[in-house]
Amino acid sequence: MSTLEFLAPVAAGEDVVARSPMEALARDAGARFEVRDGFNVAISYPAASYGETVSWCDTSHLPKLQLQGSSKAIDGAAGIKLQAGTALRRDGAWWCRLTNERALVIGARPSELPDDVDVIDVTSVFASLTVSGPLARECFARFCALDLRPAVTPVQALRPGSIGRQPGTLIREADERYLILFGWAVAEYMWSVVADAAGHLGGGPIGVDQLSERNMSHQSTPNTDA
Amino acid sequence: MSRLEPQPGERIDRSKRISFTFDGKRVEAFEGDTIGSALYAAGRRTFGRSFKYHRRRGLMCVAGQCPNCICSVDGAPGARACIEPARDGIVVQHVNAEPSLEHDVMEVTDRVGTKFTPPGFYYKTFIRPRRLWPLYEKVLRNAAGLGKLRHEQPEREWRTEYRRRHADVLVVGGGTAGLHAATAAAKAGADVVLADEGLAAKLADLGELATAARDAGVEIIEGGSALGNFDGLVPVWQGDTMHQVRAARHVFATGTIEQPLVFAGNDLPGVMLTGGALRLAQTYAVAPGKRAVVATTSDRGLEAARALRELGVQIVAVADLRPEISELGRALRQDGIAVFPNYTVVEARGRKIVERAVIGAMNPTFAGTEHTFGVDLVLMSGGAMPATSLLLQAGARTEYDERHGHFALAQLPDGVFAAGEVAGAVGEEAAARSGELAGLRAALELGYGDADSRGRVQVLETAPTEDGDQVAVAPAVAGAGRGKCFACFCEDVTSKDIGLSIDEGYDSIELSKRYTTVTMGPCQGRMCQLPSVRLMAQHNGSSLGDVGVTTARPPWVSVPMGILGGRPVEPAKRSSIHPRHRALGASVKWAGDWRRAYDYGDPAAEALAVNKAAGLIDVSTLGKLLVRGSEAGAFLDRLYPNRFSNLNPGRTRYGVISSDAGRIVDDGTICRLDDDTYYVTTTSSGAGAVEEWFSWWLADWQMDVRLTDLTQGMSAVNLAGPNARQIMSAVSDLDCSAEAFKYMDGKLGTVAGVNALVLRIGFVGEIGYEIHFPAAFGEHVWDALMAAGAEHGIKPFGLEPQRILRLQKMHILVGQDTDSESTPFAAAMPWIVKLDKEQDFIGKWALAHYAELPPSTALVGFTLPNGDVPTEGAVVLGDDGSAAGQVTSSRHSPVLDRTIGMAWVPAALAHDGAKITISDEGRRLAAEIQTRPFYDPDGEVLRS
Amino acid sequence: MSFLLSCPNCGVREVTDFGYGGEINPRPKADPSFRELNNYNYFRANVAGVQREWWFHRSGCRAWFVAERDTTTNDVIKTELP
Repeated sequence: MSTLEFLAPVAAGEDVVARSPMEALARDAGARFEVRDGFNVAISYPAASYGETVSWCDTSHLPKLQLQGSSKAIDGAAGIKLQAGTALRRDGAWWCRLTNERALVIGARPSELPDDVDVIDVTSVFASLTVSGPLARECFARFCALDLRPAVTPVQALRPGSIGRQPGTLIREADERYLILFGWAVAEYMWSVVADAAGHLGGGPIGVDQLSERNMSHQSTPNTDA
Repeated sequence: MSRLEPQPGERIDRSKRISFTFDGKRVEAFEGDTIGSALYAAGRRTFGRSFKYHRRRGLMCVAGQCPNCICSVDGAPGARACIEPARDGIVVQHVNAEPSLEHDVMEVTDRVGTKFTPPGFYYKTFIRPRRLWPLYEKVLRNAAGLGKLRHEQPEREWRTEYRRRHADVLVVGGGTAGLHAATAAAKAGADVVLADEGLAAKLADLGELATAARDAGVEIIEGGSALGNFDGLVPVWQGDTMHQVRAARHVFATGTIEQPLVFAGNDLPGVMLTGGALRLAQTYAVAPGKRAVVATTSDRGLEAARALRELGVQIVAVADLRPEISELGRALRQDGIAVFPNYTVVEARGRKIVERAVIGAMNPTFAGTEHTFGVDLVLMSGGAMPATSLLLQAGARTEYDERHGHFALAQLPDGVFAAGEVAGAVGEEAAARSGELAGLRAALELGYGDADSRGRVQVLETAPTEDGDQVAVAPAVAGAGRGKCFACFCEDVTSKDIGLSIDEGYDSIELSKRYTTVTMGPCQGRMCQLPSVRLMAQHNGSSLGDVGVTTARPPWVSVPMGILGGRPVEPAKRSSIHPRHRALGASVKWAGDWRRAYDYGDPAAEALAVNKAAGLIDVSTLGKLLVRGSEAGAFLDRLYPNRFSNLNPGRTRYGVISSDAGRIVDDGTICRLDDDTYYVTTTSSGAGAVEEWFSWWLADWQMDVRLTDLTQGMSAVNLAGPNARQIMSAVSDLDCSAEAFKYMDGKLGTVAGVNALVLRIGFVGEIGYEIHFPAAFGEHVWDALMAAGAEHGIKPFGLEPQRILRLQKMHILVGQDTDSESTPFAAAMPWIVKLDKEQDFIGKWALAHYAELPPSTALVGFTLPNGDVPTEGAVVLGDDGSAAGQVTSSRHSPVLDRTIGMAWVPAALAHDGAKITISDEGRRLAAEIQTRPFYDPDGEVLRS
Repeated sequence: MSFLLSCPNCGVREVTDFGYGGEINPRPKADPSFRELNNYNYFRANVAGVQREWWFHRSGCRAWFVAERDTTTNDVIKTELP
């Protein structure tokens, strides 16, 4: 295998299943699972209906790649100029510039990436939750100091910063839908933080099949040569 | 319950009766009552006993400002009866009186007088004999205080919500000015939050204004107290919620605080601020008393006199400190009220409550001018002090205002506005104008508003200002010598105490504050700051402006600790294998910020299994850094005292990180994966710091190196023991033979069908494979290794057995065996320092110096002949019996069946066979030095 | 202490998002004297006023940057990448 292949949670053997660090919590909460692309994913909860409040969904299975290289090389890989603070949606993934020399691709593994960017699979470095619903912002206000007012954090905003007193990254995916990334090892803690806040607001967990697709009304991004 | 006729602004609902108990007795109340209003209506006048002298105290401010009605509610101390809502079934208790509120044995401290209890008397009186201080302290602690924590109280779930609120403008204070400010800013387009403690809006009948503010989009936090100003972050406490408001602009419309007068007996129950009496009558329909004397420095007292008279309180006299009788005063006289200009109240007398009030003309002795009245109420109004505390915390400055006799705002920092009475805008119209102006300015500064708003600002700025009321400046004290005149009700500081503190040399307000504790009590200076400054100025003969004021520190409002505690969720890191440890019944403890398996029930057996068969430990907590780039090797050469650029791909080397001071910072192993890639491991607790250290130097050196922190992304387990090779061969596609996979090799292969990096290293001293693989496969790999090892006697082992095993090998733990002073030379690792390295490295200069300088102490091993295990931290004695070193690690080794340890000892003793004495909690233990590993000293097992 | 800092990569955050790296204290170039070395290791200017200092966006992009801050008021004059 190539040098860095061992970093990706892509199984070499057939019977090997990758698991989210929140799997036990999801199971205790009544989740139904299905193995998708080698990952055991919580797809639904029988009791889930939190459309009026707030829900959280374990999306840790989303592939995540870190790109490192010159600012230009990263733009080249993205095929568009990536600005810090804004996540762009391309090919089923969020493209996020964190620094001049570093970016994250979340949601898919692009098939072809140029040689002048160094690609490291960080899928299991970051776990994630998707928090959605009309009370999502109120929910974050309970454990996060980021300013999520719509005028300050529009749809597609990318906000690396402290979430639940842990390093995190937040993407506002849609009006009432936020994706947060945090360390894989703090996932159990983070679930308890979100569950505490969301639960108090009348919310609960949902599975990935229950994550409303209509919420995901991200703008398509023009392919410019910028 | 005796109540007045229904009042237009009353807040009680007479159709809803509730009841609670006070000191075990049932008290009837209406919904909307406070504990204080209900008790007062039921005839209670003594609410508690004072902090030091155990004097009776009753309602004074009826606004939560003074400390006189502090009580405990359902076992939680610190509630103010006058603002704490009465709820059905609550249990209310008095504070600081034993055996009962009416019969308090400690009352004697009041009778013996201040001669025996001046400020600092604890420390003046109870200093000898020193050994008795603990006893004195116990007695004193029982004698003083404003409430007790009930330890026997059952635990209860107290849910505290933290709520972050970002806003453009925060307005503190919901009176006329605050509501106008909020509405104006919101109408201009700003996102506005208004926090109001609750009383102002309801009393001033501002319902319409509040509705207008809400309609304009203002979020009103009702009953929300702003606790402080922390660089613009304002915590607002509202019930069980702590709003953390971060606004770009602040408007403070915090109003004024009615001041008490300092005279003899000014703390007797029945002595009340005029505002307090009015609130009792108008808000709760409770008559404050039958016959009253009013003492005032402005029309405020006269207005109160008129209002209370209409409610049936007989006003027997009004002492108006102003020399000229005002228009309102003349009107009162026409109504038959005796108004005495140039008079003030000198003394309040009475056994349990006020029975008599003495007033006198303002001259030093009052002789010949005195009048005494039989009363049950003395109402005082000593001026309106601007409530500037939050503004001062925000960086505002105040100056002494001679005309009003208080400290007024003189300068505001950028982005901070003041409106209403706190800014000197007295009266409804002026308050409204100043509020609107502040709100508009705040909004305009943020880019909201339009030409109309700017025009309106100009109009408001040029509007004439009213001169306001005529006021007299209250005397520092009246009636001194007739009894205790309290400057501070919280801590029982009298006018005399302030004088005494100055005489003893505490002659600045800052010193006097610390000595007498004036302004340091629960009222936070609301009642005592101005009086204490006046007393000091009078005693010093200086001006008030020269004395100055102290800054009241947050919290501005007494707040339960539980509210500050937040939610009971504690950040913790857990390995992806953690569910397995739980299932195995591991003893889980904190290790840095990780929850880790310390052992699975029998650490000795677990350690023995590793030495005799095989063991598996979860080491996912290790820091893991990927260092990539054409200069990766050169970068590591500059960070470590030894070399990594010459490490062959597929090999692993131990490294110690040193600071530029030559001290050990961290350690770990580094494996070179390919020419440009190194996989660096760090200690578990040092992972974050090492990443920061690496990226800090990278930011400085700007080399072609890229760092990636993989700590949480990669799980790691260490499979170790004589049978580890067979187990490894069963689950891996790697050739694990001794020839193909040597000690310190690092290989990429599959383990249980998972791609992994396998390092053959030996921290625990046996053949060992440290397997690194994606955390998403944690449980799978663990299970596979445990299953494959079952026939080879594998046991899971925790952190504690690992500590035994590594100690057998004398492998140091950074931070356990070393401290911030340890150098690699002293820690017996001179071989790690390559001073002949051509390029510079961190620590080189200091280490070159230490290489020349023989260390005075050395880290060595020791053994004990008998079974004693010294405590870690026990002292190693020198020849003369003094402390010369300490034990850093000690354990019983199950495989060697003896005590082993490591210790810092004088360098002269750092040789095999040297004898040392360890002093350990009274024991003297004889130990023998050993410098080479206790187990497998030549590493034959490790390398096999 | 709860002022705001602007990370050059991420934007304005609470100061609790960041790690403080101390005043900028350049490492001596080559073979410093013992005195120079000790000055570098153990002494700081500790100015009461504007100082250039290191900050690390620990909870965000995990990058180091340089800030100019007035140590008496916590006013941050500017932040920039090194």
